[in-house]
Order: sequence, then C-alpha cells, then structure tokens
Amino acid sequence: MGKIKTEDLIKIKKHTLAKRELSETGKKIRITVHMGTCGIASGAQKIMDALTEEIEKEKQKDIAIITSGCMGLCSREPLITVEIFEQEPIIYQYMDRDKVLEVFKKHILGGKVLAGYTLARGKEEQVKERIKYKGNLPNEIILDKAIPGIEEIPFFSNQEVRVLKNRGIIDPEKIEDYIARDGYMGMAKALTEMNQKEIVQEILDSGLKGRGGAGFPVGIKWKYAVQTESKVKYVLCNADEGDPGAYMDRSILEGDPHAVIEGMVIAAKAVDAHQGYIYCRAEYPLAIKMLNKAIRQAKEFGLLGKNILGTGFDFDLKIYRGAGAFVCGEETALMRSIEGKRGMPRPRPPFPANAGLWEKPTVLNNVETLANISQIILKGSTWFANIGTEISKGTKVFALTGDVNNVGLVEVPIGTTLGTIIYDIGGGIPDGKKFKAAQIGGPSGGCIPAEHLNVPIDYDTVKNLGAIMGSGGLIVMDEDKCAVDIARFFMDFCQEESCGKCTPCREGTSRMLEVLTNICEGKGEKGDIELLEEMGEAIKDASLCGLGQTAANPVLSTIRYFREEYESHIKDKKCLASVCSSLFKSPCQNTCPIEMDVPSYIALIQVGRLEDAYKVLIKSNPFPVVCGRVCDYQCQFKCRRGTVDEPVAIKNLKRFITDNATRPKINPIPITRKEKIGVIGAGPAGLTAARGLAQRGYRVVVWEELPEPGGMLRYGIPAYRLPRNILAKEIEEIKKLGVEIKCKIRVGRDISFEEIKKRFDYVFLAPGVSKSQKMGIEGEDMQGILGGIEFLRDFNLHEKTWLREEKRLGERVAVIGGGNSAVDAARCALRLGAKVNILYRRRKEDMPAFLEEIKEAEEEGVKIECLVSPLKVIRVEGRVKGLICQKMELGEFDRSGRKKPVPIQGSEFTLNVDTLIVAIGQRSEDLFEKIIKEIKLQTTNSKLFAGGDIMSGPSTVVKAIAAGHQAAEEIDKAIRTKNGESPYKPPLEEKIGIPLIIDEDIKELPQARMPQLIICKRINNSKEVELGFTREKAIYEAERCLRCDAEIED
Amino acid sequence: MSLINIMIDNIKVRAEEGTTILDAAKGAGIKIPTLCAMPELEFAPGSCRICVVEVVDVPALVASCAYPVKEGLNIYTNNKRVIKARKMTLEFLLANHPLDCMTCEKNGSCVLEDLAYDFGIKKSRFEQNKKEITIDNNNPFIVRELDKCVLCGRCVEICNEIQQSNILDFGYRGSKTKIIADGDTGLRYSQCVSCGQCVAVCPVGALVDKNAQGKGRAWEFTKIKTVCNYCGCGCGFDFNIKEGKIVKVTSNQESIVNGINLCVKGRFGYDYIHREDRLTSPLIRKNGKLEKASWEEAYQLISDKFTQIKKESGNDSLAVLSSAKCTNEENYLLMKFGRAVLGTNNVDHCARLCHSATVAGLTQAFGSGAMTNSIKEIADASVIYLTGSNTTENHPIIALEIKKAVTKNGAKLIVADPREIELVKYAALWIRQRPGTDVALFNGLMNVIISEGLEAKEFIVQRTEGYEELKKTVLKYTPEVVEKITGVPTEDIRKVARIYAAAPTTSLIYSMGITQHSTGTDNVLSTANIAMLTGNVGKESTGVNPLRGQSNVQGACDLGALPNVYSGYQKVTDPKIKEKFSKAWGVDLPDKVGLTLVEILNAAYDGKIKGIFVMAENPAMSDPDLNHAREALKRVKFLVVSDIFMTETAELADVVLPGVTIAEKDGTITNTERRVQLIKKAIESVGDSKPEWQIICELAQKMGYNMKYNNPSEIMEEIASLTPIYGGIYYNRLDNGGLQWPCLDINHPGTKYLHKNKFSRGKGKFSAVEFKEAAELPDEEYPFIFTTGRVLYHFHTGTITRRSKGLSEVYPEALVEINPQDAEALGVREGEFVEVTSRRGKIKAKAQVTEKSGKGVVFMSFHFHEAAANLLTNAALDPVAKIPEYKVCAVKIKKALIK
Repeated sequence: MGKIKTEDLIKIKKHTLAKRELSETGKKIRITVHMGTCGIASGAQKIMDALTEEIEKEKQKDIAIITSGCMGLCSREPLITVEIFEQEPIIYQYMDRDKVLEVFKKHILGGKVLAGYTLARGKEEQVKERIKYKGNLPNEIILDKAIPGIEEIPFFSNQEVRVLKNRGIIDPEKIEDYIARDGYMGMAKALTEMNQKEIVQEILDSGLKGRGGAGFPVGIKWKYAVQTESKVKYVLCNADEGDPGAYMDRSILEGDPHAVIEGMVIAAKAVDAHQGYIYCRAEYPLAIKMLNKAIRQAKEFGLLGKNILGTGFDFDLKIYRGAGAFVCGEETALMRSIEGKRGMPRPRPPFPANAGLWEKPTVLNNVETLANISQIILKGSTWFANIGTEISKGTKVFALTGDVNNVGLVEVPIGTTLGTIIYDIGGGIPDGKKFKAAQIGGPSGGCIPAEHLNVPIDYDTVKNLGAIMGSGGLIVMDEDKCAVDIARFFMDFCQEESCGKCTPCREGTSRMLEVLTNICEGKGEKGDIELLEEMGEAIKDASLCGLGQTAANPVLSTIRYFREEYESHIKDKKCLASVCSSLFKSPCQNTCPIEMDVPSYIALIQVGRLEDAYKVLIKSNPFPVVCGRVCDYQCQFKCRRGTVDEPVAIKNLKRFITDNATRPKINPIPITRKEKIGVIGAGPAGLTAARGLAQRGYRVVVWEELPEPGGMLRYGIPAYRLPRNILAKEIEEIKKLGVEIKCKIRVGRDISFEEIKKRFDYVFLAPGVSKSQKMGIEGEDMQGILGGIEFLRDFNLHEKTWLREEKRLGERVAVIGGGNSAVDAARCALRLGAKVNILYRRRKEDMPAFLEEIKEAEEEGVKIECLVSPLKVIRVEGRVKGLICQKMELGEFDRSGRKKPVPIQGSEFTLNVDTLIVAIGQRSEDLFEKIIKEIKLQTTNSKLFAGGDIMSGPSTVVKAIAAGHQAAEEIDKAIRTKNGESPYKPPLEEKIGIPLIIDEDIKELPQARMPQLIICKRINNSKEVELGFTREKAIYEAERCLRCDAEIED
Repeated sequence: MSLINIMIDNIKVRAEEGTTILDAAKGAGIKIPTLCAMPELEFAPGSCRICVVEVVDVPALVASCAYPVKEGLNIYTNNKRVIKARKMTLEFLLANHPLDCMTCEKNGSCVLEDLAYDFGIKKSRFEQNKKEITIDNNNPFIVRELDKCVLCGRCVEICNEIQQSNILDFGYRGSKTKIIADGDTGLRYSQCVSCGQCVAVCPVGALVDKNAQGKGRAWEFTKIKTVCNYCGCGCGFDFNIKEGKIVKVTSNQESIVNGINLCVKGRFGYDYIHREDRLTSPLIRKNGKLEKASWEEAYQLISDKFTQIKKESGNDSLAVLSSAKCTNEENYLLMKFGRAVLGTNNVDHCARLCHSATVAGLTQAFGSGAMTNSIKEIADASVIYLTGSNTTENHPIIALEIKKAVTKNGAKLIVADPREIELVKYAALWIRQRPGTDVALFNGLMNVIISEGLEAKEFIVQRTEGYEELKKTVLKYTPEVVEKITGVPTEDIRKVARIYAAAPTTSLIYSMGITQHSTGTDNVLSTANIAMLTGNVGKESTGVNPLRGQSNVQGACDLGALPNVYSGYQKVTDPKIKEKFSKAWGVDLPDKVGLTLVEILNAAYDGKIKGIFVMAENPAMSDPDLNHAREALKRVKFLVVSDIFMTETAELADVVLPGVTIAEKDGTITNTERRVQLIKKAIESVGDSKPEWQIICELAQKMGYNMKYNNPSEIMEEIASLTPIYGGIYYNRLDNGGLQWPCLDINHPGTKYLHKNKFSRGKGKFSAVEFKEAAELPDEEYPFIFTTGRVLYHFHTGTITRRSKGLSEVYPEALVEINPQDAEALGVREGEFVEVTSRRGKIKAKAQVTEKSGKGVVFMSFHFHEAAANLLTNAALDPVAKIPEYKVCAVKIKKALIK
C-alpha cells in the first residue's frame, strides 16, 4: 500500500465495509473470537485453533473467522460472536473446546442455536437500534426469543461506548478495519482543514479532562505546550497503567491501537511536535505487539512518519517499554525513565508542557484521553460534551472488578452513579452478599461506601468523598472485606512502589504500613487511628509526587467510613469481616456473636462424640437447642467451605447434637456472693445474664410478665419452628443452677421499679420490645387491625383457643412487613385457615426475614406481594373491608445500600382483605423506654444495666444471648471493681480434646439438606416443620468442614 | 528575568522571576531549613521535603528549593501546616536513624542533628524496625554507614552529574530503597574512583572519611584553607587540624578552581605528612653512610664544598635543580641562589621533563608558554580537542569541566590519543594515532581545513605571520598521506578537521602526550598552528591549553627555575635584564644560558658537573634512562638533596636536608591556568625540618650572600618588583582565589585568558613543521612501543602517594597495560608477571590486559621504584626544549616465569 491521501481513506473505508458484508454467495458466516488478554487467559487461543482446524477440516470456504479485542465482559470469556447472513448475531459465553465444537457443528453448520451457552442476541453496536426496533431488527431473522437481546442486558444497555466503540468489532491487527470505522478521519481533518489554534480550541471547548487520574483539562495542557517556544517538542502517551485491577488502557491498546496513534498525531499537530513515545509497561506484551504492528501499518499507509497524508507534517512514534515501576506512571518519572535514568519524579514546575522530556516542551496524555481525541475532532466538541456532567464531559471507562457479578470494562457517561455501575451494569454482588464499598482510583484512591451509591461519579464528587477518579480502576468489595486489611493492602502496594526519593512517601508509607499491620495482627494500640490520620495528612501534604500525595488515601478513606472497624480491631481485637487471620481461629466462630466454637463441635460430630460436642455448645450458649433451630446463622455466610461449593450447615449440625445427645448434667451453683441481682424480662438476654451471674455465685431473681419464661422464644416464635417442650428444658436448666424466675409479675403494675431497685443491688433490664409500630395511615386505629408481635403473642398464649377457632382472624389477611415477625404472623394466620398476603414495599430479595422461612411460607400458600405499600384502610361500618395500596418502584439507594422504594403515581389498587397484621417494627413499653433513657444518661457506679432488643431494637436470638453474656460480665466486673476485688476467673473447665481430621483432597459436595414435614401435614397444626439430620447426614455434613481453625505447623 | 512581587509570610518581597522560593526568602532574610538541596551545586531535587512551604492555591506543600517564584505568589514558610509536615518528615527520618550521635563522626556538623534540634524533636514515635544495612567498609577511604543515610540524593547527584562516575544511584524501592554502588557491589568492587565527592556532600554521618574516623569532630578542628600540592589543577581545600596534626582534608565550596570538588589524592592523599619516616634532621654522609647532623654542620659542609668546587672547577661545574613541588618563593630563591650565589645559570627543574616543549613552543608561537585560557572556560567551549592527556587520571578536576562541557553544555569532544582513555566515552569522535605521529596528524587536519577553505582568514591576516610557509608544508599532508603515517582513517581526519574549524570556540587541551617526545616542540608548535589557523586564540573558552603536571610546575617556570631565563621568562642573555637583576641582587650575573636537566646529568656523568643542589626533586626516578641518570648522580662529587622523605635521589646524596610539606609553610603556588594562590602554614615543621625558603636563605648567608626575608610575602614583593607578569601580585591580594598572571601592577585584575587583542609576542607566528619519526621505533627485536604516564592514584615518583595508606592500598604495584591481542599472542594473562626490556634496561611487573592500550603499545606508570619505567625510557631529547622522549621507545616483552 503506497502513501495515501484523505480521499483514499474514504475509499478504503468503503472497500472494507463492502468486503465485510456477509452475503449468500461470498462469506456467509463470520465468527469473531474475542482475544484480548482476558480472552486469551481464559483460553480464547484454543477456541481459535479449534475453529480454524474445524473450518479447514470441513473445507468451509464461506466461513470467515476473525479476531477482535476484549468486548468488555471479561468475566464471561472466552466469548465468540457468530454472525450468519441475514440472521441475528449470537454471542456465546464461557466457551471451551468442546462447547465451541458443539456450537460449530450444531449452530454454524446445523443452524440450531445452543441457547444454553449464549450470552445474548445481537451485537453491542446494535444496542441503540435494537431498542428502537424493540429487539427486532428489520432484515434479521430471529432465531430464539428465549435468548435475551443484547439491549436487554443492563451490562450493555447502560453503557455509552465511545472510546470503546470499536471493541469486539475490529481486528486490531488490520488498519483497514479501523479506517472502516472512520479511523484516521479525525486526523485527516486536523491535518488538512485545521490549524494548530483551531485544534487546541476544539479540545478546549470539548472540556475533555485527562483520563489518567488527575483530570487536568487536556486543552489547557496543549495550549501551554503551544505557547512554549522550542524547535523540538514531544508528544507522549502514558500507557504505564499500574493500578491493581485496572486494565482500561491495556484493553484499548490491544483492541484499538490506532485510536491512540491517531490521537497522538493530532496532539503532535496541535503543538507542532514531530516525535512521540508511547511509554508502555513491558508486562503488556500483547498491547506492545498490537502497537508495534499498528505503528508499522500506519507508517506503510503514510499515516505516520514523514509527510503524513501528503500534508507535509512529520511525526514519528516509538514505543518505550517501562519495567513496571508504578511510579513511572507519574509524568516526570516517566520522562526520566525514557531518558534512560531511574524513574523518579521531580518537582513541578516546570511542568512538562514547558520543560518535559529532555527539558523540551512535552505533552503527555493517557491512553484513554488520546483515544478520545480523534472523535472530538471529527464529530466536534459539542457532540463530545453532550453527555457528562456540568463540569466533566464525555465518558469514562472503568475496569469493574472485585466482588461484582459482571467483571469487565464499562464505559459510562461521567456522572453515572456508582449504584448504576455496580448494580445495573455490574449485576450486583455475587452470592447475595452485601456491598461494602468500592475502591476507586486504585492505590491512590479511596473507597466509597454503600451510603454513597447515589453519587454521580465525576472528578469532583469522587474527590469530595475522599477517593479519586484515577485512571478508572473500580474494585467492588463485599461485606467480607475488612476495611483495615484493604487499607493495609494498598499501603503495602504504595510502600513497595514508592521510588524512595522523597522522605514522607518512602518512610511514611512504611510507617503507616507498620501501624496497619500491627492493627491487623491484633497489636494495635490506642491512638493508632489518630496516628495514621496524622501521618496520612502529612504524607499527603508533603510528598513530592502524586504517588506519595495520594498514598494515604485508602487509609484515610477507610478510617473516614469504617472507623468502627479500626476500633474493633484495636480495642476488641476483632476483625468482623473475618479477614485478619491473627485475630480469630475460624471465620464461623469469629462471626458468631457469642463466639461458639463451631469447628470443635463439628469435629466432635465426625467422631461421634456428641456429649462432648454438647459440652462445647453450652460453654458459650445456654440455648443451643433454640439456636439449632432459629438462629440467623451468620457463621454459615462466612464459612470458607462456601468458597468451594456450599457452606457447612452449621445450624443444622448444632441441632443434630442437641437432638441426639443427652444434655450434660447441671449442678446447682452455691451462692457465694453477697450482692443480689434482679433481672427484668425472662427472654434470652435476661436468662443468659441470670445464668452467667448465677454461675459466678450471685443470687439472681428474674421478673417476667407473661405466664412462662422465654420471652420472644416462647411468645414470638411459633411452635412449628421451636417446639415448646424443647425450650422449656433449656430454661429448666437455668433454673437448676439456682436462678429464681418469677412469672406473671409485671413491673410497673405488680411491682414498682423502685421496689426492685431497692431490693436488689444491681438490676438488669431486658424486657425486649413487645409493641408493634404503627403504619401511620388512615383507618389504622380501629378494630380488625393487629400488631404483628401482639398477634403472635396472643396466638402463642392461647394457641389451643385459636386453633379451636374460639378466637378468629378474618378470612383474608394481609400482613404488612418483610421481617421474621411478618412471616411468622403470616404462617400462623395461614394455619388458622386464612388466605394470607404479605405486602412488602421492597423487593423479595430485600426482605429481612430468613430465606427459608420465606420459601416455606410460600410453599405453604402465603402470597408475597412486593413493591407494594398500604395507603388507606377501607372500612364499612367500622369493619375492615379492604386496603388501598400503592405500587412502588426502586429509586435511589438508601444509606444501607438498598434501593429505596418510591411510589408509582397512579398505581393505586385495592386489596380485598378483612384483617390486617402490621409487622413493620417493634418498640418497647413506655416505662422501660423512660428507664433506658435514664440509664443512657447515667455516668459511673450505676446499679442499672440494660441489654437485648430494648437496646438494639428487634434482633436475633444469638445477639440477645450475647447481650446477656455481656451484661453478666459487666455487672460482675462493676461489683468487683467497686469491692476492689480481682477480676473473675471462671472455674477450670473439663478439657475436651478436639480431633483433627483433615482431608486434603477436597471434592465438591453439596450441603446436606434438612428434611421437612410435607406441606399437607403442617398447615393445620403447630408441628415442627424441620425434622433434623440423621446420623449419616450429620457426619457427611460435618466432614465437609475444612477446619480452617487448624493451625498446622509445617 | 525581571523583578516581581511576591508575599512571603505576609511580607512584600521583590525577587527575580524564576528564582526559587528558597532563594527569594533568603534574600528577604527569611531562613527556610533544608536538607537535600545544595544550591551551590544547583542541586534542588525537592526530595527531602524539609524545605516545604505553603503556596496559597497550590494544593500540596511545595519544596521551596525547587519551586520558582512568579508574580503574585503568596507563600507561608512557617505556618502550622508547614511546621507539622516538616516535623513529621523529620520524625520519619529519625525513626530510621541509629541516633548514635555521641559516637558519630558527623556530630557537630550533621544537618539532621541540627534540624532535630531546631524542631525540638527528641524522639520519634516509630522506634521499631529501624533499617539495618551492613556497613560498606571495604573501600580504603570511604565508609558507608547506610543505616544513617537519609537518602537525600546528594551523593548520587555529585557522583553522576558532577563527577560523572555514575557509580552511586538509588537502588531498590520503597522502604528498601538505599544508595547502591554499581549493582550494589559495595564501593570497593565498583568502578568507584574514590574521589570522595560523596563524602563531601553527605549531610549526615552516612559517608565518612575512613582514615579520619575517631580522630575528632567538627568543633575540635581548626581549618586552614590552602591549595592542593598534587597536580597542576590547583584545587583549594581545608586542612582540618587537631592538636597540631592534620586529621583530614575537607573541600571548601569557596575554592575558585574546584569548588567542592576534589580527587582521591587531594581529599585522601595527605596522610603522608605525619608519616614516621619523614626526614627530621640534616644528614651527612660519613664513611659512606648518611648520619644525623646539625643544621650548622650541614650548612658549613655545603658551603665549604660548593665554594671549593666553584674555586676549583668554575661556577658552571655547579648546578641547582629546583622543584615544581616547592613554592614560587622557593623557586625564585633557589634560582637566585644558583645565579647570584653560585654564579651559574645551570638552573633547571623537572618541568624540563614535562612541559619544556610547551614553554619553548608556545613562547615561539604566541610569546607566552602557558595555558591560554582558564579551567572554568573549558565547560563553555563548543568543541574540545583533547590530545595527549589522560585528563580524568592526571587532572581529575579539569576532566570534570570537560565532562560538564559535553554532558551539560552540549560540547563536542574529540579525543586524539593512542590510548583508550576514560574520556573517550564522552567523545563525539576518537582518533587513535600511532604514538609519536602527532605532527603528521595536525598537519593532516590543517590540510583539510585549508583545502576546504575552513581557515579563519581574517584572523590569519590580522593577527598572524608565517601562514604561507605553513600552508606550503601542510598541503603535502593530505589525509591519505597522514592515514599512512598515523593510522587514522582519512574520513576521521576530515570529520575532525571540519568539526574543529566550524565551531565558534574550540579549546585544544593537551598534556605530556604531546610534549614528551623528541619532537615535543614541533608537536606544541602544531597545536599553536591549528589554533591560529582556525582563529581559536584570544577568546573565551578556546585557545591552546597545556595541562601542567605538578602543583607548581607553572610557578617554577614562571619564577625562572630554567637555565635561560630569570623570573617572568626574562632572558638571561638580555643585557638589560641581566643588568636589572644584577642591580637588584647586588652581584654580577652569568650571561651564558645554562644546562638543562638532562644535560646537567649528562655533564655530571661526564664529570663536568661536580656539585648539585637538588631541592625536592627525584631525578633518580623521574629521569629517562635511569641507569644512566643514577650513575650520573653517583658520579657527582658533591650532591645535596633537600626533601621530606629519603628519596631514591636522596639516598645518593652527600648531604640530605629535611624540608617540609606544604602544610608546614607559607607561600604561593601557580596552577596550570596561571593562577597564583596562597598556601598557608597549617602545622609546625616536623622535627628539625625547615621550609626550603629558609634553608636557601640560611645557606646563602653561610656562603656570604645576604639573603634574608622575614616571611615569604617579602620574597613575593621582590619578585613583583623584578617580574613584570607578577608585577601586581602581593599576598594581600591573593586571599580570594588568587590572581592569574599576567598581573602587571597592583591594580591589574589578572588575566583570565591570554592574547586577547594581541599576542604576547605581537603577531602569532605559524611554524611550518615537518613530521619526524620518534627517535626509537619498534623493530623485530623490540617490537612494542613503550609509553609512560601517570595513574589516578599516584603521583610522580610515588614518593608521597606510596606513603599514603589508602592510595597504595588501591593501587599497590606497577602494572603493564597490554592489549588483549598482544597478551594472547604472548600467552600472558591478567595479573601474570611480564618482563619488559628495552635497549637500556629491564623490569618486571604484573600485566593488566586492557583495550585501553592499542595493539603493539604497552603502557606503564613511572611511580614504582620496584619496576621503574624510566629504566626503559629513551633519553633522546627534543633539540629545542631538551625534553626526553618518554612517550615512545621500543621494548620487547615476555612472560616472566618467576616474580
């Protein structure tokens, strides 16, 4: 190919496009294998080889096979696109050799789409058109409607590809492909129709900011370089992408290298430079290969080098390979490196635009920035600025990685919210985990937590939140990530990558790392957080270059948003996310509020020592039987086995122990201490506290309003989940220790609080929250409407009466709420023969109730209506006749990271119900609320303590037990401190040897399922639904434990 | 640059635009603490972050040492934010610091210590995990205690940017960052030349002078500023004295020639002063043995003997050898002693052996035999033509200027040298002529210049004479002819000629590679020819610049320690001059030109010279064909030697007088750029030794001549009164960097470069010079060319450098540099002994196989008496300058089986 002129470009474009067209007679089929680094790493080369082989073998001359770069959805690689003449293109995902051969045989040759392997119908470039035609493009035969159209996939439909417009489409090794997509037209325009000033002005007008991190306006940078007089000037491309998890630039270079070259020529023309360098890290071999090839081709075509497009303008371009030092991404260090010296930054000014490479005026732009240039020139600054925010225009490419479903490259208009990127485009967090924070800007950036999911991602907003836009690394972190550990990780990176030149960065980062490591290892001390903040501010302020000035960001931002996590590491030596391994034995035990020794009792099940296992249980838990049934088992969510297949069924194993072993014998404990302690409320918190205090030798009396002890366990949870007799046994054992429980005495009615205070040295208040909250809608305060907790209490008090239908609900019951109380109420109502609807204002996956409860309720016939909110109760003659509801949709994210439901105007509808059970929240009795207020105000030496739901709000059993433990400990400590005694030492316990059997060969095995009572046998009674594990099942399940608590010495 | 307005700490300040905040603040009397910056070396990396200040509207703090001011800046140098950052930075530094200040060498002069004190930081909060780096202790001069290093980068800067050794650099990353030598080999095993520049700039105790360890700290020292006594660069430095002893040398930024720079000898080579084997009392040979005697006894004996010889054999049977290591005053006095007391012009000194050809040649061409330009001008030359000078080893500080010219100022360096000297690395072009063919090479260059019409026509017409003869001769030397003679390809000859002629300023620098030939004077004339031909004389940064070897060889010549001139090159044969000196000295003076050094020894050999006074010279090592020279000295009837050690020459003497080192006397010396500088007495004379000027006076008096001065400044007054070029040189004018002659009167500022509008002799004189082969060429029997010179670590005959512990540790023995191809042919490997034989002698030494030597050429230094190179050299003399041909003789080599 000889030297070409502008008009030749158009010819090449037409020619190439024509050649690309599939036809009946020529190439009828085109297969595109997406071969970016991500694709190749997942095996795209094998796919390519297999297909090529197959085409040759079958002598299929009408099949074209081409390669292209990454198409963005890296987590689904290897991807291939199959296009057949007049048919809708099909994208296949997760290909391997066998699958691709199957696709070849059945789809390509056989015409039958393999829907199971597909990602989508259509290509990304068709998204807008497909939306316009509602997924049915004219002239394209639809093959299988069950496959989602690409426009229906939020990952694609929410993106705005400009920089990445050629992704997945062109073959980066063919300059003609690039030209066919209007490549080099921007350059042609700049070189033939515009002067330097006009080019700079166009870029200035576009408002394009540097995409490398700092966001400096590109036009201004160019203007400075124009204004500096010098015979020699340089244009550099910074392709030293170094942030962990960021690979936007790599992908552009690999998939669309000419876009960068074209941008550089335009920049060179703008500032009158004739030599350029692309500084690319040597770790990007494919990018370098593509660039080399592109440079060669561009030169052959006369689009680079001497006399470009015959305009007389010369620009030569070389690639400089960086050795992978992070700091070389800093512009002055980068230039030093090109000069052949150790890459270390120097102070600015002078800025590179005045004195850069070899002291000559130098324009340095990042890959993505340069990839924007030609389109701005071609389509104009107005076009460019038509998306983005007021002050930040255009799009930004992000490398979306971490705990997110759709790992990949996304390009969105600047100002798109973080929530949109993570939840809509990213598909949310895998395994139903909670979003914790997103690290933006790599090690120089900071994290943005769930409470800010609504913020528009632009340079300034992100900065105000303590992060930086950076080059576009966006690492999503779920609840299992520890904030301190994250900070430590990034600090370690910065420390390792500090060039060592300036003191604050070199010394400071290592000192910060030291403190962070100490905290992670449980050696943190009071004042460490403040020290980190102080160091961080100083390093930020005093460092020489961007690396140091931003190195502290991850620490400062995690402190800003997760200070309590730092505190719990330092004060309680606890890593709640179960990451900092020095601080716990196993994640399950660490996650358990009462730190039950899970690995031990599971190990004991394996060897059949159930009694010992039971002993392990009751060490920390007075209610193992209860917890084996109704615990919210947070332990299971952190179970490491879950990363292999499914978590160990810890809760069910616990129940297995209590079902099958004899409860160890309990002996009364003699009263050895003079202080008397009164406990108000015989719920799990109160009883646990009473037990703990009795164990320490105190005399304890518990006051309970209801006829039987147990609190919510007895009167909140229905018997089909927690049989009464089982609960009674556990309470009996507490009594056996010597605890006196006085039932049917209501404090404030049967005995005054003052009296109790007088009679006891210390009082523990654990009355729980026994009143339902109101909805606050019209018609609520009358007959036919029950509070959820009130209904459950009444049902549990008078179960027989209810079941004998002496007490009656209506026939059509609506339960409002999504928590466990709502579901329990619904299932009870169902058992009373009503038709039950649960109305919940958010989505089902947002319901706080246990997943299996929801499932069971639905199985039993409860209808759950989500995104619905009650507006008004319709009454006829005082009776409930219906409920006017409103449909909701999800709006912005709330502070907890869930999307807020917002009413849909005009969506009102009426539900035909006669009874309403309102279970949207609970509160405590006024009397206790008053006392609690007093307790909160009191300072030292108080005799009043409080705990359980009344302090935390409605919570779980195990948290109530934890509160009880804490109360016993605190009360005892207060007494001993007052008496000047040494702290309590628990009596020596019987040592239980824990076997260690570890199978190093882990096979994927499913979790053992809990057998359940069949539905028809449960809906009319209170029989327990879950039946318990058999011995075999229990051992099978116990053997799935990985024993990550084991410290194995090598 | 214009003056602009800024605010510093709410004070309005006017400053020059573009100066740093640090300087602007300094100008306004506001002190900003610094650590890494060295404004004096234009080094402001902004890396330590101690000097950070707040500039309003700039987000982070900026390093004031590097931040240029512009109109309207609003700066706070001392607010809370700034202090907080500085304190934290200091705390970080201290956290990693051993804090063993009580035993640290740097205590009292440590920047970190001062900063900690100023900021009141007693303790860092980060006391754990101090870095521990093994001490690099293997270099004989420098200890690197890197756990004390604050990584300011000063050492790296000076090593790479000024010294350009490129040894030190930052190594590793993050907290593991440390300064490494080469690939982290430790200094000893790196290519480090031990200049100690790094030690000079280290702000803390990380780099220290090994031999001064434990011998005192800053506040205990008295510093005496003086001038180095090694090569002709004339570097200034400070002796650090404690309890009457010199503990170490430290550089002094104010030194006009060298600033902070010094070479290994200057910085670390002064431990010889306090050697036990210094001569401490006069010795008289009795029964063949030198025995201690009193001064009176010695003077009497010398007086008697010289008087006797004079009477018996005539004045001209006596001779004095003066010294390029002694002061101007001493050279003047010895010259005066020879002429006025002994009555002979047989006065010479070792300049005969190094640059007599320069004096002869340049005087003939320009009228003045010295460097035309100044050292500092070299850096600004656009082309440097370097020939016959291994500058980095022999004039290390001048080499820095050459490197600066090339790497910082874009000069083109052309090296014409048979050896691949270090500066070849910096050269745009290196031409490797066969030793002894310089005239042909120059003629070839001039041939191209003239035939291509590149000569400076106007300059030639207006300022020179003899051009036509030159042209006639030169035109015979076409590149083709010259290639055959020199071995330099014609293309290179043409290229070099064009570069030389085209440049606005070309500085020709040469040294003994040009002079030490039997054609030395012709060589020098050629340098003058090409310079004049291209108009490269009489301007800044150009000229013909011979680099003088010894510290005061220029001065010794200036002061008339030559057989044909009095001080200031005033001819002994000029009656008016003779009259002037006769009158001043009160005696009649001889009018016949005396004998030169080699002639004196030859005459002594022949029994014609019977008495010689040798002042601090060592001809028994330095002269060519040593067997002959030593025999001559033995044959002298009465030989008097004054020196500080028992040299090879002193061992042959009848009377040995203990002289002193430059640390023990006042005086002046003149460096290669004609700069007369003061040296100052730093310590008392060792034992009974005496400064030579005193010895000469006392001896003269003993011989009945009234020679009495209270101090050397009085001698200089006499010199000034009799020597026009030194006419304005008085001690009270020399404190700030001295004066460069010609300095005609008390108001004359001295002369930076010569021949500005007019050559000293009027018109510059071209001399047509034909090429002549060296006196002795290789043949079948002696197939190798033998050439000699110096090495970095030693000086002259090794008398003092070999008594310096460190220097002799680095370079302990003589080496024969031989080309790998030759070595292979001879079956000689690196480190094996070889026997080198010439027609005059034979030596054994270890072989160093190196590309530095061209094929067929071997090189040796002449510092080692165990393998004295001059046993081999040829005493063939240049007919004009009488300089011997040290650079070319023929030898044969064989592998020596036994040591």
